Amino acid sequence: MLLRHIDAYGASTPERVVVVGAGGFVGSAIVGELAAAQIPTLALTRQSVNLTGPDAARTLAALLVRGDAVVFVSAVAPARTAAHLMTNLTMAHAAATALAAVPPSHLVYISSDAVYADDATPVTEASPVAPSTMHGMMHAARELLFRTEVPAPFVALRPTLIYGAADPHAGYGPNRFRRQAARGEPITIFGEGEERRDHVAVEDVARLAVRSVRHRSVGVLNAVTGVSTSFHDIAHIVAAQFTPHAVVQSVPRPGPRPHLLHRFFDITTCYEVFPDFHFERLATGLARVHREVSATTAAMPARANAT
Amino acid sequence: MTGLPVIAYLGMTHLGLCSAVAAASKGFSTVAFDRDVDLVRRLDAGTLPVVEPGLDDLLRVNRARVSFTADTAALRACDVLYVAPDVPTDDHGQSDCSVLNDLVELAVGTARPDATIVVLSQVAPGYTRARQASGRSVYYQVETLVFGRGVERATLPERFMVGCPDPARPLPAALDAYLRAFDCPILPMRLESAELAKISINCCLVASITVTNTLAEVCERVGADWSEIAPALKFDKRIGHGAYLSPGLGIGGGNLERDLATVIRLSESHGTEANVIRAFAGNSAHRRSWVLRTLHMMLLADRPDARIGVLGLAYKENTHSVKNSPSVALIHHLGPWMVQAYDPVVRSVDGLDEVKHAESALDAARGVDALAIMTPWAEFRTLNAAALAAAMRGRVVLDPFRVLDGRAAQAAGLQYRTLGVN
Repeated sequence: MLLRHIDAYGASTPERVVVVGAGGFVGSAIVGELAAAQIPTLALTRQSVNLTGPDAARTLAALLVRGDAVVFVSAVAPARTAAHLMTNLTMAHAAATALAAVPPSHLVYISSDAVYADDATPVTEASPVAPSTMHGMMHAARELLFRTEVPAPFVALRPTLIYGAADPHAGYGPNRFRRQAARGEPITIFGEGEERRDHVAVEDVARLAVRSVRHRSVGVLNAVTGVSTSFHDIAHIVAAQFTPHAVVQSVPRPGPRPHLLHRFFDITTCYEVFPDFHFERLATGLARVHREVSATTAAMPARANAT
Repeated sequence: MTGLPVIAYLGMTHLGLCSAVAAASKGFSTVAFDRDVDLVRRLDAGTLPVVEPGLDDLLRVNRARVSFTADTAALRACDVLYVAPDVPTDDHGQSDCSVLNDLVELAVGTARPDATIVVLSQVAPGYTRARQASGRSVYYQVETLVFGRGVERATLPERFMVGCPDPARPLPAALDAYLRAFDCPILPMRLESAELAKISINCCLVASITVTNTLAEVCERVGADWSEIAPALKFDKRIGHGAYLSPGLGIGGGNLERDLATVIRLSESHGTEANVIRAFAGNSAHRRSWVLRTLHMMLLADRPDARIGVLGLAYKENTHSVKNSPSVALIHHLGPWMVQAYDPVVRSVDGLDEVKHAESALDAARGVDALAIMTPWAEFRTLNAAALAAAMRGRVVLDPFRVLDGRAAQAAGLQYRTLGVN
């Protein structure tokens, strides 16, 4: 199923939205977006409920109220190993058990485009789910688990590569490039950096999540911009944000050159279901992130001086 | 039977009406039957329910040989009875055969024992075999109607494909005499072969359309121009001058989709491999949304107040049909924006109440930020690019079917986009 709205006009304001995984990069952005929309929110972090603990389901159920809208974004990510996979499934199982006991009015799951086959292009919501990685398999299994175990309207948002000022990861892409440049190091790209990927701002993922809540959307939506940019070009965009410009340096690939270099998305479904939603363009988003990080960096010594 | 056989067509929608008038044009007395008394009255008064170039004139010239009636007794006078209502389809390509079934039963129950009954409406393999009545054979003939070219297709068929309960036996004399009047090859075959032949034709057409659309999109990315490539392909005898090589917004209208759905259903029932058919449908869905995607990329992301003009609502030119129309689908997804539309024939569409209907193409372009030419009506080809540019507020013109002269549009300062070239 692609996506449909139970509330076509997006006028639903749930009495409360519970965000499970609110302390993470994406979760905190969603909490911020809900706050901006003045939607009452219960933000649950690892400190509120440990989903890998023995009493996780009961603890979470005790925090829920029947009729809550729930956004589930908690994960050990990226899931690289079998142990990560099993931990993530344990977390999802606990959450699904709690949500089955205290059914929500709506469940939003933040998944990943890793659920699609590597050779799917252009990817749409109708592309077959055929993950080739532990991470993709984890999200695919969790989607199935929530869809079948929780008696509530369910939507899976599948973001692609996410960037943002608060990203704690240093995976290959804009966040790593920015950090390298900030340290005065060359920005390193593998080979010529010709692989083209779609990158989405975390704020856009959060806005889509809140829209899905308001519309009580059901089905699947890819949280992707529809524009794929090479790592080479991204590196040069980031490099130009620094004075003097950072150096972009090609380094040997850590492994063989991938057979399928690029990933493209067709975002027609997003245009159809959220016609007035538009993604921030990558260059604009990277410039904004640079400003935000620079402002934070500049403010830190000031705060230190104040104390 | 003495002299020319009398021909009946049951079901006065597009197929039956065009076919009945074509029969009369070949000199046959023709009974044009429908159960809808009001429809028959309107037809009798010369008011046709379909838009089809040349049909009104052809009927007027041959009016004396056509008898519109809702009286089943009139069918007793007929030597060949064609059951020919249009078969509607739902959004999933499933046929609703209820009207056809009713008329087949009527024909079988009413026709003289020596008369020949032919199913002309499109059906799935097995349909006609299941309608054989004791003591009476029911034949199946492949219809090849094309919306907008109905008169040409009905009066000048390339060939007749006739499904027979026993193809080794000669055709009934009356049917044979009637078909020979069209002076084209007659190909008798098994009932199931004929039923699948129609589907096969449409699958081949869809294959051409899909290849064209696939490569046209590649052209848009690599600097090629499909309009330069297509003529070269047509000189290849294996492809031919009549090949469908014009890029478009997927496949529309409903009939082709129905045939794809039928093949997939047959594949699922019999375990045959038919993934290419699913791929046709996937490509169609992708190309169908070209205008929506391009509008968002060129304009809508930055202009929440944009006003959009749409030329054409029908799913193709020379028809009033909006079934599966890319234009209607586009407008449905432009909810937040003001849309003004013009179609030479379609004046309103259910569910598009917010659309302002303009009185002319130029009127629809007036004050808009982007103009999408969604149906290649002939009258749009006469539009002057400079006049459009003067009427419009913005510069974006999306012309998937190359109705306008692209160079003239660009010379007029328009941001012109079409299929098959960047």
